[in-house]
Amino acid sequence: MAGKKETIRDLYTTMRRIREFETCASNLFAEGKIPGFVHLYLGEEAIATGVCANLKGDDYITSTHRGHGHIIAKGGDTKFMMAELFGKATGYCRGKGGSMHIADGSRGIIGANGIVGAGQSISTGVGLTILLHKTDQVCVCFFGDGSTNQATFHESLNLASIWNLPIVFVCENNGYGISLPQSKHQKVKDVADRAPAYGIPGVVVDGNDVFAVSEAAAEAIKRAREGKGPTLVECKTYRQHGHFEGDPAIYKPKEEQEAWLKKDPVKRMVKYMLEEADFTQAEVDAVDKAAQDELKEAIKFAEDSPYPAPETGVEDVYDDIVEEVRDR
Amino acid sequence: MAIGIIANPASGKDIRRLVSSATTIDNYEKVNIVERIVKAVIALSNEKIYFMPDSFMIGFTVIDDLKISGEDVSNLEVLQMPMSGSMYDTVYAAEIMEQLEVGCIIVLGGDGTSRAAAKGLKRKTPLLSVSTGTNNVYPRLVEGTVVGMAATALTHMDDVSKCCIKDKRIEIYVNGVMKDIALIDATVSADDYIGARAIWEAKKIRAIVASRCHPASIGFSAIPGAMTIIKDTDDIGVCVIPSENGTSVMAAIAAGTLEKMTLGDPVIMKLNEPLELTFDEKCMIALDGEREVKVRPGEKIEFKITKEGPYRVLVRETIEEAQRLGFFRTKDK
Repeated sequence: MAGKKETIRDLYTTMRRIREFETCASNLFAEGKIPGFVHLYLGEEAIATGVCANLKGDDYITSTHRGHGHIIAKGGDTKFMMAELFGKATGYCRGKGGSMHIADGSRGIIGANGIVGAGQSISTGVGLTILLHKTDQVCVCFFGDGSTNQATFHESLNLASIWNLPIVFVCENNGYGISLPQSKHQKVKDVADRAPAYGIPGVVVDGNDVFAVSEAAAEAIKRAREGKGPTLVECKTYRQHGHFEGDPAIYKPKEEQEAWLKKDPVKRMVKYMLEEADFTQAEVDAVDKAAQDELKEAIKFAEDSPYPAPETGVEDVYDDIVEEVRDR
Repeated sequence: MAIGIIANPASGKDIRRLVSSATTIDNYEKVNIVERIVKAVIALSNEKIYFMPDSFMIGFTVIDDLKISGEDVSNLEVLQMPMSGSMYDTVYAAEIMEQLEVGCIIVLGGDGTSRAAAKGLKRKTPLLSVSTGTNNVYPRLVEGTVVGMAATALTHMDDVSKCCIKDKRIEIYVNGVMKDIALIDATVSADDYIGARAIWEAKKIRAIVASRCHPASIGFSAIPGAMTIIKDTDDIGVCVIPSENGTSVMAAIAAGTLEKMTLGDPVIMKLNEPLELTFDEKCMIALDGEREVKVRPGEKIEFKITKEGPYRVLVRETIEEAQRLGFFRTKDK
């Protein structure tokens, strides 16, 4: 990947699209246009981008309540995402799920999830399916540091390691479980330290450096695809906003916030592009403009879309059972 | 005299756990090692100990554990200094400890951690490097108890010259400006970003400069080491450059990873005589295994082997000298 200008542009494009989506979502929420809760990925863009850049179209991801970045990086359509945030019938869940339930099976996005740690169990199921179907697919499971105290984390790593499942567990350690600093919810500082307990490799990378994330993810995904089993990749990062929009985040020390803002992954990428990768400011601006235009279109699509009809309220609760499962 | 302890909480966790079979050491094991060091110091003479503060709070955890065990912790102190969570914590802590005139600084980590501590040292403060990282040549695998014994003995000696040697270092200059140092090896690789820091692909290597090399080493100095042996006490260094028509060798570039490389003849580097190289592509210079210095095409890179490295403690020799001096004898029968 090193030195490939188009690859660098692609990485930046994804990061910038996530940044634009989240910035718009923040503003729209403040304007009262988005119902429910919104948990933003601002400051963590390098992780989803660096990881998903190494995935194929038919690979899977499981996500979290802070899932917009994962979904965009795995190819989700920002129009349908924004419509879902608006609660409109054209959204990914026909406007009935909202921010925390966006899924797109056609792109291997098994879904955002409002339950902390639930994606870990789901990814284990996905990994088992891949194993049973004997394909070379991989499942990436994104989760935060707070969820690594849940039973789901330990049970999933245990099963995944026993069965050698093709899963990459990506811990987005942003230092907080809601408002609780990591130092007050677990004794370990590096979640990766928990990997050896399950007999799998664990590594720590700078989660605000898209290249560091991508290099580690590439190796972990390769291991999974080659049948060598799961890996735990811990990405150190920082949530620039509160836990959810509207959370004033008074629990975050000012100096800490300022120090991490200096390590902003998007700004770091722009600096690298201009100083090291032969990009001009005009080329960077073009990517920014395209992301802004895309989001304007997505917001218009969402605003122009209808709300779901009341009589569809109980539709889409259950999917039809798959016939091959019924026979069992 | 006091003793300084720098334990790097980040060592032993990088991408080498994926790309090679590198050792994993969790932070609690580092606490255990430091605890054993401190217990030995307390048992022998209860010197003052300064700890570098870190994100895992290794120093505080050790103090708490020992306090609960009923040990005298009155001489144990975690330095109050700003923390950045980067290698500069180690550089800064070493600098402060030297200003506090400690008799010895114990460093736990890999080659990179020892290099960071060396960057902070300006005088002849003895450095005792203990391995907790990977690909280590500089720090040695030594039991913590013995480390504590050696450090304490050292602080009681009038003349430490029999127990320490002045090390070499590699100075790296780009366009005439000194950019950084390495203790063991400086490896030019065809990367153009720092990324996950470590390098592990032999095909990207463009040149290796080593202050010492041996085929039994792990890391990039093992590559010239496959062709020639240069000891830590030899006043020379070496440079090798891949060459299609050269000699093919196998070397352990990482734990569990032997790679084949074809090299030109090793160029012996005399002390203080710079070796100049330029490359027509963007490169990174990895210092003791970690990408650090960016180089643009055509920029003049100079590598110089000097004797300006740290004053390294030889643990075994220190223990033997202490025994000769009667340091381990007790007054009561």
